[in-house]
Formats: sequence, structure tokens, C-alpha cells
Amino acid sequence: MFKKSNTAPKQGLSIIIVGCGKVGLTLIEQLVKEGHDITVIDKRYERIQETTNLYDIMGIVGNGASYSVQMEAGIENTDLIIAVTDSDELNLLCCTVAKRVGNCAAIARVRNPDYSEEVVYLREKLGLVLVINPELEAAKEAARILYLPTALEVNSFAHGQAELIKFKVPVNNILHTMTVAKLGHSLTNDILICAIERNNEVHIPNGDFQILSGDILSFVAQRKAARSFLRQIGFNTKQVKNAMIIGGSKASYYLAKELINTGIEVKIIEQSKEHCQLLSVALPKAIIINGDGTDQDLLKEEGLEQIEAFIPLTGIDEENIILTLHAKQVSNAKVITKINRLNFKNVINSLDLGSVVYPSYITSEAIIAYVRARKNSLNSNNIETLYHMFDHRVEAIELRVLESSSVTGKALKDLNLKKDTLISFINRNGHIIIPTGNDCIAVGDTVMIVTKQTGFDNIDDITK
Amino acid sequence: MNRSVIRFILGNILKIEGILMILPCIIALIYGEKEGFSYLIVGFISTILGLIITSKKPKEFIIYLKDGCIATSLSWILMSIVGALPFVLTKEIPSFTDALFETISGFTTTGASILSDVEALSFCSLTWRSFTHWIGGMGVLVFLIAIIPLSGGFNINLMRAESPGPSVGKLVPKVKYTARLLYIIYFGMTLVEFLLLILGKMSAFDAMNTAFGTAGTGGFGIKNSSIGEYSDYIQWVVTIFMILFGVNFNAYYLMIFGKLRKALCIEEVRCYFIIICSSVFIIYFNIIDTCKNIGEALRLASFQVASIITTTGFSTTDYELWPQASKTILVLLMFIGACAGSTGGGIKVSRFVILIKTMFKELGSYIHPRSIKKIKIDGKPVEHEVIRSTNVYIITFVLIFALSVLLISFEEKDLTTNFTAVAATINNIGPGLELVGPTQNFGHFSVFSKYVLMFDMLAGRLELFPLMLLFHPTVWKEFLYKK
Repeated sequence: MFKKSNTAPKQGLSIIIVGCGKVGLTLIEQLVKEGHDITVIDKRYERIQETTNLYDIMGIVGNGASYSVQMEAGIENTDLIIAVTDSDELNLLCCTVAKRVGNCAAIARVRNPDYSEEVVYLREKLGLVLVINPELEAAKEAARILYLPTALEVNSFAHGQAELIKFKVPVNNILHTMTVAKLGHSLTNDILICAIERNNEVHIPNGDFQILSGDILSFVAQRKAARSFLRQIGFNTKQVKNAMIIGGSKASYYLAKELINTGIEVKIIEQSKEHCQLLSVALPKAIIINGDGTDQDLLKEEGLEQIEAFIPLTGIDEENIILTLHAKQVSNAKVITKINRLNFKNVINSLDLGSVVYPSYITSEAIIAYVRARKNSLNSNNIETLYHMFDHRVEAIELRVLESSSVTGKALKDLNLKKDTLISFINRNGHIIIPTGNDCIAVGDTVMIVTKQTGFDNIDDITK
Repeated sequence: MNRSVIRFILGNILKIEGILMILPCIIALIYGEKEGFSYLIVGFISTILGLIITSKKPKEFIIYLKDGCIATSLSWILMSIVGALPFVLTKEIPSFTDALFETISGFTTTGASILSDVEALSFCSLTWRSFTHWIGGMGVLVFLIAIIPLSGGFNINLMRAESPGPSVGKLVPKVKYTARLLYIIYFGMTLVEFLLLILGKMSAFDAMNTAFGTAGTGGFGIKNSSIGEYSDYIQWVVTIFMILFGVNFNAYYLMIFGKLRKALCIEEVRCYFIIICSSVFIIYFNIIDTCKNIGEALRLASFQVASIITTTGFSTTDYELWPQASKTILVLLMFIGACAGSTGGGIKVSRFVILIKTMFKELGSYIHPRSIKKIKIDGKPVEHEVIRSTNVYIITFVLIFALSVLLISFEEKDLTTNFTAVAATINNIGPGLELVGPTQNFGHFSVFSKYVLMFDMLAGRLELFPLMLLFHPTVWKEFLYKK
């Protein structure tokens, strides 16, 4: 009697999260919202106390890699363990122990560059479902923006074939007062506008929606089409030639490496001499400057005014923000700000920083995509990617269509889609289709949906 | 302060209480009593009022600790006032003060009565009296959490204010399911006791009320002689179930999920059983000469020990006539109380475990002044915060206790009466010694003393601080002026 009543109301998965830092908290916040049963393990009593007061979860104080602590957290009946402590080794150990004790899926955060090359090997040998590296992901996102500096945000879908690009419509642009439908007729129909933000409100536009200058547009297109569209409306689509990075953190290393590989000159300013030496070994092509990156004179001396891209990646958000504001004032460089802290987002948004990268969100998005797919079916993974746009108000989700259902084989115009939901592209055998009303979804496709609803985990969810 | 949430919670409490009053109505229907109409009217009005109040949902469901404590205290007061009305309306307890005393005594699972002749009450009133024990035992807000969707993690603050014990843990990650699980265990155990009592040839009505009284560790009897005139078998069943309801419910949760060994390893539960066994042992040898046979001595001793330590307050004999040593043990047991996380009252075994360990640690620090030692319970270190709050709890308890004894001493009653009257109410037991002994009642106190004792009962049930918060000037200010 008891057992049944306990499991019956459970809809979510039971998940153990080890480590209650920034990523841990983001995960907790998101996963609680989606209705999962969460147990969090952390060594710090106060941290557990605070978190359990804020969220409806169970907290255990202890070392997450210890067998007895995991038993106490109920590892035997857990579906998923996510290890996101500060230490890569501890995370891997947590998952290894958990895999032996319980029959659960394991996700570990591994961010040390020493291991980052071996991620695939680690994942396979240790049987992990995901290895996440927020610093690397943040660096990749920053790099994508630098390849297309006019964009505020560039996210890639369908293994990099399609891109979701966010940009701000400048004053006196030809897009001003143009409706979405007219844009399709007169300019190009290779792109699809997914979402428009105006005065802090997000709209999923239909054909009659009129674009005004100052709007923030999000559109999806194939890489080439996107660039030609941006050129058409008078944007510069050349990637930056050089970049200045402040701080020699892990994210800086990943970013510098990525940029150097595509031929961008990189200059890194780092305070610790020892660290500079390590960086110079790891990144022989980069210019490593030993100095205080927050020193205005040093920045000037190193040519902040002439630089094309400026990326403050210090560990302190406040410093990053100040540096960004400073750079915007003295130069025309493309600036990307990395922000770790999750609160005060309204303040940060009101500062008009341009492109902002939140490493902990990038990580939690990947995990939530996995969790949703897993909740839907235990064996198959039908969610390819998940992005939250405009402060979690809009979700862009890439779903795999594995079997025929009520939406397949029907012309899109005949589908009764939910409110504020849009099919933005269909990927059929690697070929990107920007759909019109006559296209239809077939089995085997992956479909990208943009929606203001949340919790989609199956293609059937898109219809009413 | 989030007043709209407090209002919403109070409205829900009214609704729930109104609905719960259906039970005495049914009993009245079965026995054809016209007193049932009072319950019907009060229940109906309370439900309607509750529906009106809750029709407007609060904007935010944020309940901080402060709001949780205030909502809990106010809920208990409101609930007691509404619960007292039928007694006044049926004219069975004509004075409102007396009716309120009886209801608070019921909800706080004290079981102290102002009635000299219980058997004169109608069946539906007897049922309501015992039913208040059952409702109050696990707590109404816990019930509320189990059934209504209060989103967010904040409702742990409600549970924290109502559940007894130094630190409140959850059984499963979600508060809602924890509350449900607690109620399922509670309900299941009550049902088992009811069936066992029926097997002992008790009438269904008696068995139901006795089960309610035992489950909530309340102690309202439906006979003037409490449990005394029932068979030995029934007395043993009640003894065992009193002890079982005094055990930390976490232990049952662990047992249900097959972790029997872990359940038996809980230090608090072990201490609880050690205390029970040794008390029974001493009292047994102390009273053996006055009893007819060995079996009777053992039965009386264990029943009384179980009744007092779990703060139930049933009685099978007038322990007033026992030797001094036995009486003293019973008074000491009053203060120890049951385990944290059970339905019992008192200071709680776990607090004593912490205190005694702190004492030994302090003693050790005289031998090795620079030694550092962390207190451990169940093999886990106890945070300084918990130890501090335990110490403060004890001090506050003593202060309130002393003040209450002083306040009621103006009535020129003897010290034993005053002392045990306060001890029996603040620890939610029921009977004390001398003028408030098992064969006596609280009816002879003045109105003022009754209110003092009512405060003690509520303070004891809600573990002092939530109720005391109501007297904090800042709370009044926020409550009255801020808009």
C-alpha cells in the first residue's frame, strides 16, 4: 500500500545533483520547475540549508563521491546523477561510484583543459551519458559571435548547418516598418524570423507583424543564407581579425585556441606571471601580456581603441561588466561579456551590454535537454538541442521525429499549432528546409520548434 | 510580511475544519442526537467563510520563515476558536473559556479536561473531542500541504513551524509527498489499532475514539475512568500503540522501504526505548507490593510510563496513590516527552540526547581545555546551529514554565498542583498530580489561569517560538500598518 502511493504521484525523474554551486543552482531551479524529484549533495552545510529553504528539494550534507552518502541520497532508485562540483576528479569519481552502486545515468562536469581533449574517451570508458564543459561551451558561443560580429547571439543547430542568429535592427535600416511577410517576398525567403523582442516583450511573429528599428530579431537560416541576408540589409558580415581577452581562465584558453585555429590574432592579458607562462606554452601563437587587465592605461597601451573584439573573461562579473562598458566607450570593438552570477539579470539587461554569455545556462540547457528526452522515453534520445532565448521566455528546441504521429505527413498549414509556437526549420537527411505552409514533417526528420510554451519533449506536443 | 498568503492559509484551515466537522455530524445521525445540528451549522458556516476567503488567490506564494510561523500560530488559534463553538452551542460546555480550553487541549493533543463527568457528553461531542486529537497530532498544516498545491520550496517553512523536533527533515524530496507519506503512515497505524481494539471486543465507537486519542497521543478518554475499565488486552494494545506513536516517523518510513536495520539504528529511537524500559523496570519494583499480582504491576507500570512519556495522558489507575519514587519518575518523564517527528509532545528525546552529549563535551573540555570535539548523532556531526537552538529552546522552556507557575500560583493551590498543571499542559500530557491528578480535572482553575494554561498548551505544541513570535512588536507593526 505504501510503496504504491509513494511512486504513483511521481511524474518526474528522481535526480541527484552533487555540488551546489552556480551551475548546480541553475539546474535545481530549472529541474524543480519541470517537476522532478531532486536530492542535492554538498559538503557545505549552510549551502544546503539555503538551497533547501528556497526550493522544494532534499538536501544532504556530505561528500558526493562517498558510497554511504550516495546510499543515503537513495542512489538505488535514482534515474540520473549530475556531478557539478568544482573538482573534475570528484565529479568523475561521483559518477563512477554511482554507476557501480545504482543503475542510473550519469552526467559529469569536466572543465580542465587536460581532460577536454579526452572527453569522448572518458565518456565511453566511464559510461557517462554526457560530459559537460561550461567554459568550453561559453568559449564556443563567444567564438560563434566573433565570426559574425554584427550578431548579438549565434546558436547552432543541426550539427552546425543551421544557425539561430539574434541581432538588433539599427535606426534607418531597410527593415524598419517592413512586415515579416514582405521581408519574405522582397528580400529573401531562405530565412525565417522566429522571435522579436520589443520593449521587453517577446513576440512570435506572424506574417503581418511589422518590424521596427530597435527591435531585437531572432532568425534561423543556413549559414550561407544567413550571411547573405545580413549583407543584403546592410550589415558587415566579416569576422573579426583580432581579439583581446582579459583574464587567463579556462574559458580564455578555450576561446583563444578556437580563434587562433580560424586565423584570428589573439592577445591575452593575465595578471599572474606563472599563469602567463603556462598559457604561452599552451598557446604559442597568442600574445600573452602579463599585467592587470583592469588597468586603463595598460589597455590603452595594448591598443584597446584599435582592437576589433574585446572579451573580458575574468572570474568577477562586476569587473567584466565595467570593462565592457569601458570598451564600448573608447572603441568600436565587438564586446562579449561573460556573466556567472544568475541574479540581478534585470539590471544587467538594462545596461545594454550587447552580447552576453552565461556559461551556467549553457550547461544547464544541455542537461535539461537530456532530462526531458529521458523523461519522455527511457531508451531513445529525441531531443537534439535546447536553447533558452530572451531570458527563458522562449525555447528553441530541436526534436527528432522517430515514429509517425498525428503531425507527420500533413501540410504545416493544416496543423493546429499551439499558441506562440513556430516550426522554424526541418532537417531532412542533412538538408535544411525553411518551411512554407505546404511543407510537411516526415519520419526521420529533425524539426526545430520555437515556442513560448515550455516543457515540449515530443513532436506531438506542438499541436493543441 | 506576505499577508495575502497568511489569509489564504487561514481560509483553507477554515474550509478543512468545516469539512472535518462532518464526522461528528455522521455520529449524531447514527445515534439520533440533536446536538449534531450545532456541528452542522458551525461546519457549514466555517466552510462557506473559508471558500469566500480563499476565492482570491494570493499574488505570490512566498512564505518566509516568519510568515510560516505566524500563519501556523494563527491557524491553531483560529482552529481552536472555531472548534470550541459547537460545545458552547450545544450547551454541553456553556462557558466559552471552558470550551476553548477543551478544544485547545484537544488540538494540542494535551488531553487536559475541565469536565468532571465526561460520560454526560453526547456521542457526537465525544467524537469531536477525540477527533481533534487526531487532527492535531500530525498537524493541520501538514495536512494542508499534503492536499493543496502550494508551489515552491517555501512550504517547508510551514511544516517547520508545525512539526516537532530540533530540525525538520524530509522523507522524500518534495514537501507535498513527505506530508502525504506522513499522513498515510499515520492513518494506516490508526486503522491497525482500531482493528486490534475491535478484536478485543471494544465497541466500534469506543475503539474509534480510543484510536484517535492514542494516535494523536492526546488522552481524552470517553469514560470517566479513562481506559481503566477495559480488558487487559485492550490496555496492552493501547500501551503498545502509545509507544509506537511516540517513535520518530522517519523510522517507519525506513521500515516500509525495507531498511529495518537503519531504522533500529536511529539513536533517538534507541534512547526512547531505553528510557521506557528502565522507567517501567523501576516503577514495577516500586509498586509490586501494592498490586494484586505480577502481571497487573507490569501492566500498570508500562501503561502509565507509555502514557506519560508519549504525552498521551490516558490512565488505568490512580497513580496518585503510588509511592513517591514512581510519581517522581512520571513527572520527570513528562519533561522528556516523545521522539522528534512523532505525534507526541514534551521537550523531545533528541533534544535531551543533544544536551547530554553537550554536557559531556563540556566536561571533557575541562580535562583537555584545547580539545576540539564535534557532537555526533547517528554518526553525523550536529551543526553548531542546532546545538545553539536546542540550548535556547531549553532556556526559553524553563522561563515560560517558571512564569506560568508563578501566574497560576495566585490561586492559593499547592505547589505540586501548580507545578504539575503547567508541566502537564506545556508538555501536552493532560493529567498531573494532586488537584490535577488522573481522577481530577482542570475545571477548578480561574478563567485567568485557564488562559495561561491554554497558552502553555499551544506554546508546547508549536515548540514555543512560532507562538512567541506573535508577541513581537515588529510583527504587530508589519501586520497592522504596512500596506
